[in-house]
Amino acid sequence: MSVVVIGLSHRSAPVELRERFAFAGEKIPEALAALRTSGLASEAAILSTCNRVEIYAVTPLAADAAVAELKKFLIAHHAYEGALGDEVYSFAEPHSLHHLFKVASGLDSMVIGETEIFGQLKAAYEVALAHQHTGARLNKAFQRAFNVAKHLRTETNIQRGSVSVMSAAVELAEKIFAALSEHEVLVIGAGETSEKTARALQSRGVKKITVTNRSPERAVALATELGARTVPFENWPDEFERIDIAISSTAATQHILDRAKLEPLMKRRKHRPLLLIDIAVPRDIDPTVSELDNVYLYNVDDLQSIANDYLDLRKEEVARCEKIIAEKVSALLAANKFHTNVGRNQD
Amino acid sequence: MFAVIFYGLSTLYSVFLWRKGFRRDEWANYLLLAAGVALHTLAMFKRGLTLHSCPINNLYEATTFLLWALGLACLVYSLLPRFKFLTAFTAPVLFTIGIFALMPSLDVHLPPGAKPEFSGALRSLHAATILQAYGAFGLAAVAAAMFLMQQRDLKVHKLRALLSLLPSMQRLEFIMFRLVAVGFVLLTIGLTAGWQLPRHADKPYFSDTKVLWSALLWLVYLETLVAYKKFGRTSRRFAIGIIVTFIFLLLTFWITNLYSGLHN
Repeated sequence: MSVVVIGLSHRSAPVELRERFAFAGEKIPEALAALRTSGLASEAAILSTCNRVEIYAVTPLAADAAVAELKKFLIAHHAYEGALGDEVYSFAEPHSLHHLFKVASGLDSMVIGETEIFGQLKAAYEVALAHQHTGARLNKAFQRAFNVAKHLRTETNIQRGSVSVMSAAVELAEKIFAALSEHEVLVIGAGETSEKTARALQSRGVKKITVTNRSPERAVALATELGARTVPFENWPDEFERIDIAISSTAATQHILDRAKLEPLMKRRKHRPLLLIDIAVPRDIDPTVSELDNVYLYNVDDLQSIANDYLDLRKEEVARCEKIIAEKVSALLAANKFHTNVGRNQD
Repeated sequence: MFAVIFYGLSTLYSVFLWRKGFRRDEWANYLLLAAGVALHTLAMFKRGLTLHSCPINNLYEATTFLLWALGLACLVYSLLPRFKFLTAFTAPVLFTIGIFALMPSLDVHLPPGAKPEFSGALRSLHAATILQAYGAFGLAAVAAAMFLMQQRDLKVHKLRALLSLLPSMQRLEFIMFRLVAVGFVLLTIGLTAGWQLPRHADKPYFSDTKVLWSALLWLVYLETLVAYKKFGRTSRRFAIGIIVTFIFLLLTFWITNLYSGLHN
């Protein structure tokens, strides 16, 4: 008995193919039951997300035979009639366990280190567990995978930092202000990115948001979405006395805020720290305002560069994580006398 | 001596932490500094037992008391969330002053059996509160250095600012203000107690170097606080002012003591 895995992911197959093989959530117990009654697997779990479809199975068959049968099952279950080549990958022990640990830790994800996959894998395991399709071997493997993912999260930088423009802006805000819940936000321009950034700030505790836009209708629509209030576009400078964070994304072709305009506003706000997030292209805010004391200005390039740097940092951590995973897989195999018949079968 | 060695080790470790960008939250530096402060406390306690009074009778003792107040305040404040790196910024200050304090000429001993000319609770209160005030000003200068470094990083080295585990700008600003305010209150108490102390009729009070220097220091800190709170001085200027004033304090503390008739 050994753990094998077969599947398609964003690395091996285009979205058109992945969606063709996706399992609907409510159909998974049925598919698991079919796998077990066929004698192909004594234990099984199916992970189906937008980026991957994978079957984890404990099988009495030899690895090569098991993989071939699982592939047939996958094709038959989805009534697929086309040809399948390298789009489907498969692993046998110990590589199957290594792969499971990597998936749980987000190392195999499109955005390295992302944490959503952890929840998705846990949900997939819980479905299999609830319908009694797992046993000692798969339980141990999945539980160890979750432990390893948590270990890597705390001991390495694999999940550290913001890899999106919005979360980078929120992280910067948290470096400037002690508690975001005590600060007000002004959204200048009701664009999609400013809405996302405002929502990201809301998720970290910001309570009061004011929206302004040249077209009042769009301002009202966004304010309703965010639970915010609106002010007329010509009055937004007056808001600077109260707010501490401004997100700007207007379609203006020239700067709407420059040093000459901001200096008196800073005096009126008694030089309290001010975070300006300029996500407009062309830029809304003159870059020279960042020379003013207590003014922190970040444009879309700054935020993107932070997100990219974080991603690079995560990539640097991959080798370290791989090493830890290899050690954990060896420990699991040694502790449970798992079979060590090697094999990475790439169909 | 051993305390200064630990301050030195902590300084070396602080350089390492600085090179690493203050990214890891760890206790090693705190423990090194705590060991230094513990040894320092023991040494002061033993000296106090020998003298049967608070050990602040000569320049060496005053300096080590100042160091002790600074080290202890640092250990307490470092327990606040994200303030552990305060130790990394304080250790170099403690080490530098500690080396200076070890100069043998500072530790002038009284003749055997002699006692300080003036002693008692009021004198101890005067000296202890003033030195604790200097400790608070020192720690405020350390927080100000952290503030300026963090501010520069947020404007220039953005990723470094995000990766470091330093506190937010607003918290640093709050701590700076609070430490200067506490120091100012202690300084006021200490100076008031000093004014009440008995003194020789032939030693003029208001023209004494140390009294004038202390009054100047009191005025400078008062101006710093009032300008920041009432007249909108920016936090950057507030931080620079705190650092410059503390450097002035360190550089002139010993000289004014030496030239003070009342304190010799």
